[in-house]
Amino acid sequence: MPQPEPKRSRVRDLLTKPIRLPQWFAAPRSPDEPRIFQFNDERDLVVSEVAARVVGQCLGDQLEVLLNESAHKEIERLEKQRDDEAREWLGFWQTVVRKLARMNEAERRETLRQIVESMARDVAGNFDPRVYRFAQRVIPGLIAGVMNPKQLTRDAIGGKVGAERLVTLTGHLDELAALAKVGTIIVVPTHSSNLDSLAIGESLARKDLPPVVYGAGKNLFTNPIISFFMHNLGAYRIDRRIKSQIYKDVLKTYSAVMIERGYHSLFFPGGTRSRSGMIENRLKLGLAGTAIEAYARNAIRARHRGERPAPIFFVPVTINYALVLEAESLIEDHLKESGQARYIIEDDEFSQIDRWLTFFKRLISYGGACVLRYGRAIDPFGNYVDEQGRSLAPDGRVIDPVSYVSRRGEPCLDPARDAAYTRALGVTLVEHYRRETVIMTTQLVGHVLFRKLVMETPGVDLFGRVRRRGEISWAFEDYVRVYSETRDRLRQLARAGQIHVNSYVETYSAERAFERATDIWDGYHSKTVAHLDGGQIVLDDPGLLLYYQNRLVPFAEAIAGQHEQRAAREIAALAGAGR
Amino acid sequence: MTETPSRPPVAVLGAGRFGVALTRAAARTGEVLVWSRRELGFDSPNVRVTNDFAELASAELILLAVPSRHAAQILEAAGHHLDGGNLIVHVSRGLLDSSEHPADQELRTMSHLIRTATACRRVGALAGPISAEILSSAMPGAGVVGSEFPEVVEAVRGAIGGPTLRIYASDDLRGVELAAALTGLLLFTIGFATSPRVGGNLGPATIGALATRGVAEVARIGRALGARVETFAGLACFGDLFAAVAGSDRPELELGRAIAEGATPSAALERAGGNIEGIEVARRVAEFGKRRKIRTPLADVISELITGRLTAEDAVRELMVRDVGNE
Repeated sequence: MPQPEPKRSRVRDLLTKPIRLPQWFAAPRSPDEPRIFQFNDERDLVVSEVAARVVGQCLGDQLEVLLNESAHKEIERLEKQRDDEAREWLGFWQTVVRKLARMNEAERRETLRQIVESMARDVAGNFDPRVYRFAQRVIPGLIAGVMNPKQLTRDAIGGKVGAERLVTLTGHLDELAALAKVGTIIVVPTHSSNLDSLAIGESLARKDLPPVVYGAGKNLFTNPIISFFMHNLGAYRIDRRIKSQIYKDVLKTYSAVMIERGYHSLFFPGGTRSRSGMIENRLKLGLAGTAIEAYARNAIRARHRGERPAPIFFVPVTINYALVLEAESLIEDHLKESGQARYIIEDDEFSQIDRWLTFFKRLISYGGACVLRYGRAIDPFGNYVDEQGRSLAPDGRVIDPVSYVSRRGEPCLDPARDAAYTRALGVTLVEHYRRETVIMTTQLVGHVLFRKLVMETPGVDLFGRVRRRGEISWAFEDYVRVYSETRDRLRQLARAGQIHVNSYVETYSAERAFERATDIWDGYHSKTVAHLDGGQIVLDDPGLLLYYQNRLVPFAEAIAGQHEQRAAREIAALAGAGR
Repeated sequence: MTETPSRPPVAVLGAGRFGVALTRAAARTGEVLVWSRRELGFDSPNVRVTNDFAELASAELILLAVPSRHAAQILEAAGHHLDGGNLIVHVSRGLLDSSEHPADQELRTMSHLIRTATACRRVGALAGPISAEILSSAMPGAGVVGSEFPEVVEAVRGAIGGPTLRIYASDDLRGVELAAALTGLLLFTIGFATSPRVGGNLGPATIGALATRGVAEVARIGRALGARVETFAGLACFGDLFAAVAGSDRPELELGRAIAEGATPSAALERAGGNIEGIEVARRVAEFGKRRKIRTPLADVISELITGRLTAEDAVRELMVRDVGNE
């Protein structure tokens, strides 16, 4: 069946199609360069492998059902969309529906191949080393420079770049260089903001680690400048509006093929940004789950060659912000019951340039407002790995990860088994996230204030509580006492290795912590979160207090005193309320 | 001679009454390696006894049949020799001891311990009305294996399943484990209610009511811990319960009868004998319910009864005067 000829429009192409630089002045290849630098040469191979695999998986009657279901879902979507894509593709899908019943097996397969190839091409990313090097050198300074030129000059003299002031890196980042050489790294961070992927990308670049490929929602590609960078830095496009099974299979297969081929990847296993501000407590893993199938396939291939497969490492990362760019939209969405299923918030702070400017200004002048903590790397089966990338049993013994995908000594494919491993990995990652969380001042101040609100409003539900704007006030001296006690308990948890605290939480007094928190909130959020009025703290915005304190939900009972236990239990119960 | 020589050796960890019965059943299908500290003799040429944990590595399926309180120590020692290729299925009817981690108030099951103490991930639980007699003498019966990994169920079927024992599969491991552990509470209740002393006031209808409401209670707890409610309507809970009503010899029944007859808790435990894994969880379940706002009337009453804070007569009254809600 003929595919639609794209209608030509130079202006539209510039706005919607990824812009790539011509290859005239491309630098010669170096043998040490990361795998991703050669991605463009392999691109067609990846696309055809994805197509072959997806087509190969669907046989017989199942194929007809799949095509029929996909066609109807696509027609429904395109009819609603009524844009250029709809004009190009609607006819194609309608023809599929009309002719499907009369197609023979070969024709159905050919139709599927066409669909899959076109989808895979749309998904596939691009990587231009020149854009990467440009971004690596210029962007961090540029952000700082635009926000605060005077600071840039001072930083330049002191040898610091802007991003280092914005983002503090901690944890097991130094081990990654060695692991990246022997295997494939899959970075799996917590997700609170659209800035997360930039923060991860920057942190890897700062440590001279190879860049990662990642899937980004197509909505992020609408801005041509962001689209240019994303598209040339290995991002592949995910269109969340497409609901057809074929597209889901293409995405899964694409990510599996990329992992199999050794491309370091980035996935947000929580799926979308945490609406509530909580650390993810249930992970579906989604595309990251394809790593286990990828590993099994590599193990089978390696066995045939008499070799060992390259290992795959999962690296849990927590991204901890003192201030979250999209906090107001996210918590509002969380509190709307119907909103929780929405994946895309079209008009949040991420798309408003003035909010960006205020946000970064606040962050730059604040210092240490974002902490990225890299956890220890684990294999896909939840075992820690040593510095050489070998899997370790709980007793520290080196074990062979191929044993997990083998039956009676032979590696094999088994989707049910891999789904079970994926679920178990989700549980393991949640435990890692919890331990690797870094508590920021705004979160602890938010928690202590919100807990007070809960104590003052017995029997009121969450929705009732967040409506109590400015109604509750609290003597500052009482806050000081309670904050100090709570912080001390939190420190004990930190010493026991159950959590981490930011250096400001560690060293600042209750008074200074309150000042620091309200200072950063006031400079950015459109509403006052809390303020001091004649020796009384007034809780102005319970919604935002809830958002920031939610990070502490899993620890609420452990850091509460006798008197606060009841409220702490209510807060701990929020964990069941979802994302 | 083995009937199916292709099956890889099965290991049985622990040679208590149930471990021995599992060994006998597995010896009918192929080679079995029994780990035990004691010297043991089996009349089958397929059975070999060892006290060396290193030998376990050669088995694909390992059946764990040690009391919960010894499991941590044994798994740690065995774990030195195991990897991702070993499948472990336990038969525990208890929950993990929380005394080592008092702050940890979660009701944790044996699979959690297996996953943390060893490198094994393909884990399962065998439960249901399977008694040592059914296994040893090949009487017709059925059990359920809870595991998310189909190969684990397949391996158990290959080892002990057959024309007399049907092994059903459930992918709700959590549910099967919790059902196996919490059914102990219901068995205690049935033992208690069928005792001639209490039974003067309680007829079969009372027992029917107690048992059914009991299943609803343990299913509520299971759901709060991520299990599926349907699992409690299966072999792991209802199956065990029916067997008890029909006269099985589970020690929890005897414990219930002894308490009903006014024995002190320690004397009752002695009279019931055996390793009663399920009953010590009553207190923890009651506490868990309180913390998570789940109604657990049976667990509340049992924990009071076995600590001697409530008499048999008071217990019945306590259960009957509560508010009645929807089923």
